[in-house]
Amino acid sequence: MDDAIRPYLIDSEPYYRAAGSEVALFEAACSRGLPMMLKGPTGCGKTRFVEHMAWRLKLPLITIACNEDMTASDLVGRFLLDAQGTVWHDGPLTLAVRYGAMCYLDEFVEARQDTTVVIHPLTDDRRLLPLDRRGEAVRAHPDFRLVVSYNPGYQSAAKDMKPSTKQRFGAIDFDFPAADVETEVVVHEGGVPHDTAAKLVAVAQQSRALRGRGLDEGISTRMLIHAAHLIAEHIDVHDACRLAMAAPVTDDRDLMAALNGFVEAQFGPKA
Amino acid sequence: MNTSAAPSTPPLARRLAVLRGIDEAIHTALRAVLPALAEHADEDELEALVDLLCQTGTEEPAGTLALIARLDGLVPDPVSVTALRRWAFDGLQRHSTSPAKRLQHFETGDPLSFADPGAQSDADHILARRAALQHYLAGFGFPDFRLELHAPQRGQAAPTRVTVGDDVLLVPRRWSGVGEGGVDTRDRLYRAAMAHAAAHLQYSPRQRPAGNRHPMLLAMLALIEDARVERLMLRQYPGLHALWGEFHVATRLSVGFDLNGLAARLAHALHEPAYADSNPWVLLGRQMFEEAAADLHDVAAFAPIGRRLAVECTKMRLPFDAERYRVVPAYRDDNALLWNLNALESDDEVNSLERELLASREPQKEPLDPLLTVEIDVRRRRQHPEWDYKLEMLREDWATVIEAAVPNPRESSRRHSTASARRSPLRFNALAHIPDRSVRLKRLHEGDELDLDATVDSFVQRAGGLTPDPRIFMRHGRRRRSTAIVLLMDLSVSTTRFVPGSFTSVLDIEKRAATLVAGSLDASRDRVAVHGFSSNGRQEVHYVRIKDFDEPFGPAQQAQLKAQEGRLSTRMGAALRHASEALAAETAERKLILLLTDGEPSDIDVFEDDYLVEDARHAVATASASGVETFCLTLDRQADGYVRRIFGGRNYLIADQAATYSDAAGQALAKLIAQ
Repeated sequence: MDDAIRPYLIDSEPYYRAAGSEVALFEAACSRGLPMMLKGPTGCGKTRFVEHMAWRLKLPLITIACNEDMTASDLVGRFLLDAQGTVWHDGPLTLAVRYGAMCYLDEFVEARQDTTVVIHPLTDDRRLLPLDRRGEAVRAHPDFRLVVSYNPGYQSAAKDMKPSTKQRFGAIDFDFPAADVETEVVVHEGGVPHDTAAKLVAVAQQSRALRGRGLDEGISTRMLIHAAHLIAEHIDVHDACRLAMAAPVTDDRDLMAALNGFVEAQFGPKA
Repeated sequence: MNTSAAPSTPPLARRLAVLRGIDEAIHTALRAVLPALAEHADEDELEALVDLLCQTGTEEPAGTLALIARLDGLVPDPVSVTALRRWAFDGLQRHSTSPAKRLQHFETGDPLSFADPGAQSDADHILARRAALQHYLAGFGFPDFRLELHAPQRGQAAPTRVTVGDDVLLVPRRWSGVGEGGVDTRDRLYRAAMAHAAAHLQYSPRQRPAGNRHPMLLAMLALIEDARVERLMLRQYPGLHALWGEFHVATRLSVGFDLNGLAARLAHALHEPAYADSNPWVLLGRQMFEEAAADLHDVAAFAPIGRRLAVECTKMRLPFDAERYRVVPAYRDDNALLWNLNALESDDEVNSLERELLASREPQKEPLDPLLTVEIDVRRRRQHPEWDYKLEMLREDWATVIEAAVPNPRESSRRHSTASARRSPLRFNALAHIPDRSVRLKRLHEGDELDLDATVDSFVQRAGGLTPDPRIFMRHGRRRRSTAIVLLMDLSVSTTRFVPGSFTSVLDIEKRAATLVAGSLDASRDRVAVHGFSSNGRQEVHYVRIKDFDEPFGPAQQAQLKAQEGRLSTRMGAALRHASEALAAETAERKLILLLTDGEPSDIDVFEDDYLVEDARHAVATASASGVETFCLTLDRQADGYVRRIFGGRNYLIADQAATYSDAAGQALAKLIAQ
């Protein structure tokens, strides 16, 4: 493995509790070199899953958070200067392509469509990244893998992938895990007893019923873990739930009152 | 336009004159009782009363006469005019489709039920929390339930418990058996009631035929059922135990030994294992319940408990007063959803017969009379609320907006349409100056960041012995937000008058401004619609979409605009609400209503000076809460007083010159869009 990407290797196993057959599916798709697309609500474990899979496949993981302002050169690289003159600097994508790493583009639809087309030649049978400014075509390392993720929930219709981009990927649909699995995750990650975790999960499930009533997304597994951390540090349950779960998801007073009501329905009224 | 008398006339006489204009008979009847009323009521109250009668007189003359006959001895004591107003409008609202019931409301309805300030404040209190409670209920899996108040009633008959219907929860205006408590306690009571209702909805069999069961038996069965569904609910939501527990306060000392008291103690005992009660009846109930509780889903196993308890009560000769019996604690509903009191049960045959009858009756709910040929009105109707500033409450579904059907541009030759017929020669430049920059501004002389590519190029040039390009910075530019605009034209009759000193009508000027704005906005970025309105009372607010968002401003739309004529009155609030609703469906980042008008709001069925102004103000505030900005451009030089009240200090412009009106419209819009 090249030294350039060695720092991206993941040493210890990131915890991931499989909710279905996604691990096996992902492994199979990856072994064929198929680029993968992970869809699902925020905080349901997409990023953790990618980390886990990178560790499992023993691949370095290069993560890029996409945004509207990102240009193609932010991905593939650009010329910079040193004392002698210009020098080419590989972007994160080129790095992964050249030396063989898993490249993870988070919130992929946030990037502008004209930026995302740079991955097209990489994701068909050419497996090639042309660097036009440098006059080089980088042939993808056999270990190069491409994974993108996005949240189909709150993106507007304007932010969507081109069909030509979409059709290059295999996709796995993520959702919040079943109650018992989610409880297990909260127990493991949050360090709270099973009973408390189960109650937190029940609050989250009630909140998810409010999706579309002013709440874009319900309370996510990630937020449950935050709340659990606070509870494990002996913060009052109601305060912890308010801080980590209710207050971040909404500014609406009525929704907030309902969310606090759900907490009360599990933990009783605040003393 | 409002009828205005000479300022020297006393206000009461002026109002009476208005009333006389509405209905001579009402006026005469009121005159007859006025001396008697004047003995107790002061001038202000009488004025408010006449205002009210003006309103009801236009809508329900017969009812108003009946009301006047009852007035003596009713107003101002024991009913204040405000309470009477609330009651009268409640009747107009509730029975808007049934004239007979509306008349009955005025003839025999009881205004006293609105006179209880405590009930009113309770009702306001819970209505303020309605949205939150509906969200709360949705969290338990019942997203489609409405929350309404019980119809107001007085005395013993007034409901004091929640009633659960098929798709609605009726909440009492006044809960009995709850201590004063703070606001927090009341909030918990509401949540406890919602959670209890959710438990029933989830676990209770509904609408079982009650047959000829004794009311006491029904009460006991319900008591057991309440405890059963709560137990089930607690498995999923353990925190509810403490929430409900707060309201279980019955003990031997606090409630005593009558049936109500014992029932409360049993409810407490079934809820709280730690509660000790030595009464044998309570102990029996508790013991039997715990035995049956091994399988909480087995509904049949619980019925004998209720029956046994009822039998024991009879043995103890405890009298049961169905009128006075209240389910305790207060958060529990009246269990109306458990029983169908009209269905017979006695045996299965009757039962199935009944069901068949019911089933066969159902499709005929809305009988279609073949003899009755009704012309179907295809125009779209939409009801909007209106703000009553005297009562400080929103009258739901008060004004009806009728949208003109398919646009039918019809060339009409009108004497005052010459000005608008000319193609406007004005060039309209204001909108060209709206700043619009791309997101990333590159190769600038100065900026926030180095433009790396430009820098590299610059250094390469320098290394090559060329003059380097100094523009090596970049900056993030502001992208103009997309805007959706409704140009709302006042098409009331007053717009047909000529602007002083010219042969141009106000309407023509409005049209010219609309043409200019609609024609000059960049269609690729901003969406513009041209709508117009006029009104003929609250039931008939006409609304026309001259050019809608998805239409081009083509010949058809221009012809449509040209064809608009001024008629009827100006009910501004309803039109503003309707326009902001149209904007709500738009996805633009900014939403604007630009109102073109010539005078203050007025309508034929409103006689109070400030009512429509206050209503329009409320409509503007509501629109702004949902992200719709409003701006008013008026030709009325005396508009200062009311436009400021309606639109706020900065959101209006009074164009004092007709010639500059359309320019002013463009400039106002350019400023608004650029904000």
